[in-house]
Parts: sequence; structure tokens; C-alpha cells
Amino acid sequence: MKGAGAIDVAGLRKVFRHTGGGEAVVAIERLDFTIRQGDMVAIVGQTGCGKSTFLNILIGLERPTEGRVAIGGRTPYGDFDHFRGTLAAVFQQDRLLPWRTALDNVRLPLELLGRAPDEQARRARAWLDRLGLARFERAYPHELSGGMRQRVALARAFAIEPALLLADEAFGHLDEVTSAALRTTFIDLARRQGHTAILVTHQLEEAIDMGGRILVFGRPGALLADIDLHAWPRASVAGLRGDIQRMLQSNAPLKEPPA
Amino acid sequence: MRPDEAIGSETVEALEARAPFRFPREMVVGLLALAVAWEIVSWFVPPFIVPGWGRIFKSLLGLRLDFVLVTLARVVGALVVSFVLGLGLAVAMYASTPVERYARPLVRLLMAVPVVCWILFAVLWFKWVEFRIAFVLVVVCAPVFLVDALDAMKGVSKDLRDMLRSFRPTRVQLFTKLVLPATVPAILTSWKINLSLAIRVVTIAELVGAVTGIGYGLVVAQELFSVSEVFAWTLILVVILFLAEAVLTRVEERILRWRV
Repeated sequence: MKGAGAIDVAGLRKVFRHTGGGEAVVAIERLDFTIRQGDMVAIVGQTGCGKSTFLNILIGLERPTEGRVAIGGRTPYGDFDHFRGTLAAVFQQDRLLPWRTALDNVRLPLELLGRAPDEQARRARAWLDRLGLARFERAYPHELSGGMRQRVALARAFAIEPALLLADEAFGHLDEVTSAALRTTFIDLARRQGHTAILVTHQLEEAIDMGGRILVFGRPGALLADIDLHAWPRASVAGLRGDIQRMLQSNAPLKEPPA
Repeated sequence: MRPDEAIGSETVEALEARAPFRFPREMVVGLLALAVAWEIVSWFVPPFIVPGWGRIFKSLLGLRLDFVLVTLARVVGALVVSFVLGLGLAVAMYASTPVERYARPLVRLLMAVPVVCWILFAVLWFKWVEFRIAFVLVVVCAPVFLVDALDAMKGVSKDLRDMLRSFRPTRVQLFTKLVLPATVPAILTSWKINLSLAIRVVTIAELVGAVTGIGYGLVVAQELFSVSEVFAWTLILVVILFLAEAVLTRVEERILRWRV
């Protein structure tokens, strides 16, 4: 697996203009930061802070209005096809193809990459197995529970062993136990694979669980804080939690930087 | 994870145990009641208005049953051609916005022309009878395939499209892995619609110039004032339609077993 390289975000701004006129909506005011290769990053922010828009720009589905996002020096929107096989995303809804079985859903990205059929099947089985779904490979999505479907979606993303793994509120809508279990699986697998992983969430706990870096987004799309948990003494995580809460509520960086 | 698995295994088993056939009691009772009422009416009304079942069955035995095969062959042949044309054009219109902008009004125009007019055009324009019939069927059925397929293609959810695009598919892959399979339910529905449409239209088309087929059989019966024969043909047409729909429904259940 080749690395995706560092992610550079410089002067990023995104404005949505409706085709029928009307007022333009600023989704991202201005973002500047860098994510190193292999970083585990959580982006935390309230609804409307542009975190999903940012992820869509990173995936290459949206074009920045101003500024630039580059992964390893290349822009995901402009050099769209360059990122074939390097990035994979897990979305809020599982987005499984309903006419495909669990196994065939996991095979999908491998098919798109033109892998040999036996390799597709072998890899897809292995990932379903790792996510505890070996018995359900022939089940259709509607036969599976929400948690199981999201695990299939995780298997689909991991199957191509992407250098850059993105998750957009991927566990938030599930019940607490399922969500925590999936989150642990995600973080664990991402860490073991050595991926650069970015988890977008509105839940602070999820962000802290990631255990890497936390980017706190304010509304609309501005960086309130960039916190490295590694540089943070364990004992003061509770205080950090309070600090981030305050930032999110006031939508402004703390006057004094977190102690 | 336990509760998850329980739910999953339960539904998988439920799917496997799904009853393959249920006797349609209500339908049979309803149809029998209608048949009985028909018979009773026939006792009080002259047979050239409402013939009894005895007469109808007698006529049924005397019918040229090869006409049924001829008509069915025309319907199936025309539907296959319509499907290929309709889907082909739908793909072209989906792939290219200018093609869609130019073609859509033309298709709407085609769909606005009444069947009777198409039959008259066919008689005026073409000499060969088989071609006339095929022309009428195709011009009526192909737009239905086209419009339904195109709408379904355009209706594919943005979420699924974005998911697939995040993996960087080629245009062909996006179409074959996502758009086309997502269109299958709509295609099956338009087959059902077109089958009943074609069976009803083919008989009218066969009234003009054909010397075989159920439509021709109907003309002959009418010219001979054989009311029971007209009813016998009608009965056959209705039965064909019911059977064809039943077959298509079974096909649909098989193909769409992934649906809830």
C-alpha cells in the first residue's frame, strides 16, 4: 500500500450558490491546516460547521470555491482519477447497494479496481470475517440490522486497503453500544493498517476515542482549535473536554489556550 | 453484537422459508361469482347479446388455436424490439443532455398520438401486414420502456452515486454497477404495463389486413354474427393476459428478491 501523502488545506472556502438564484450559503469560511501521513484525526463540530462539506471536498466530490486542498500535492477534485484505490469513505448511512449481498457489496470497490475475481472474493470474505459477518455474506442489506449494515460498509472501505480512510458521522446514528463497538473496530483497524484516518463527528467522545489529533470546527467552517492528544497528559482530558464544549457553544476559540 | 446476529439470522431464515405459492382464494371466488351471474343473465337475454357458457365453450373448441400462437409471437417479437430500442435510446438520452433535450419532446409527441391514428398511418404507409402490426406495437410500447427507464436512471440516489464515485469508477462502471441495476425494478414494471398494452393493441392492429391472429379471428366472428365466438376469443385474450402477468410477477419476485 502506497501512502497518500500529507493533506494540505490552505485558504479553503466553500460557498454554495443555488441554481435558481437566492442567497449564497457559506459552508466553509476559511480553513488552513496540515494533516501528516498516518495521522489519526477527528474533526469535531456542531451541525452546520461544514465538516461534511470539507469531507466531500477531500473525497473530490465537491470543488473548493477558493483556496486549495491537496493530498500528496494533488487535488482530489482536479486529479480525480489519480486517487483510484487510495481513498475510501464510510458515510452516515451505510449506502450499500440493496441488490447486492453483503459479500458482493464488499467486492464492489475491488471490482471497480479491476482485481481478479478470485482475489475479490477472497479479500471480501476476509474483511467480512474480520468484522464478524462471515455467516451473513449471502444476506441482502434489508435482512441485516443497522449495525451490521454499517459493518459491511466498513468492510467495503477497508477492502481496498486505502491509504486515506474517511468516516463521516459513520457511527452516530446507531445505538450507543453498537456505535461504541463499531468505533473501536474502526479505530483499531485504521491504526493497524497504518492509514491516515479522518473521522468527522459531532460527538466529543468519539473524537477523544480516536486518540490522535482533534480539529475543532466552528460555524461556518473555521478552525477553533487544533489539539494533539499525544501531547496531552491523560489526567487533564476531562478539562480538555470542558474546553472543547465551551468552544463549540461560544463558536469561538478560547481566550487562553487550553492549559 | 449478539442481538444483531439474532435479527440477521431470523430474517435470513424467514426469507428462505417464504411460501412459494399461495392459493388466490378471493380471486377465484370473485371470478366464479361473475361467471355464475353471467350464466343467469344468459337465461333471460337472447344468445346474440349474452351467450351462455355452454355456447361459448362450444365456440372455443372450434377456434383456430394456432391464431393464439401467431398473436403471441407478434406481441413478444414487438416487445423485444421495443425494449431494445427504448432502453437503447434511454441510455443515449441519459449519457448526453443535448440528446435528451432534443429527443424528449419527440417522444412526448409520439406518446400523444392515439393508437387508432398509428393504425391508420401504418395502413397508409406500409404494404406488408406483419410490418404494419409490428410498427404499431413498437411505436406504442417503445416510448413506455424509454420514459420509465430514463426516469429510473435519473432517479438513482445521489448518496449511492457519491459512494460509488468515491471509489473512482469509469463512466461505464458507474453505469453498469449502479445505474443499470437500480433501473431493473422500473424496467420490470414497464414490461408488465407494456404486455397488457400490447395484447390489447395487437388485436386492433390485426383487424386491418391480417389474415391470421386473434384480431382476424374476431373480425371473422363478427362478420358471421357469431357472438359466442367473439366472447370465446375475448375469454382467450383475458386468460393470456392473466397468465402473462402471473409469469412476469414470478420473474419479478425472483429478480427482485433483494427487495424488502
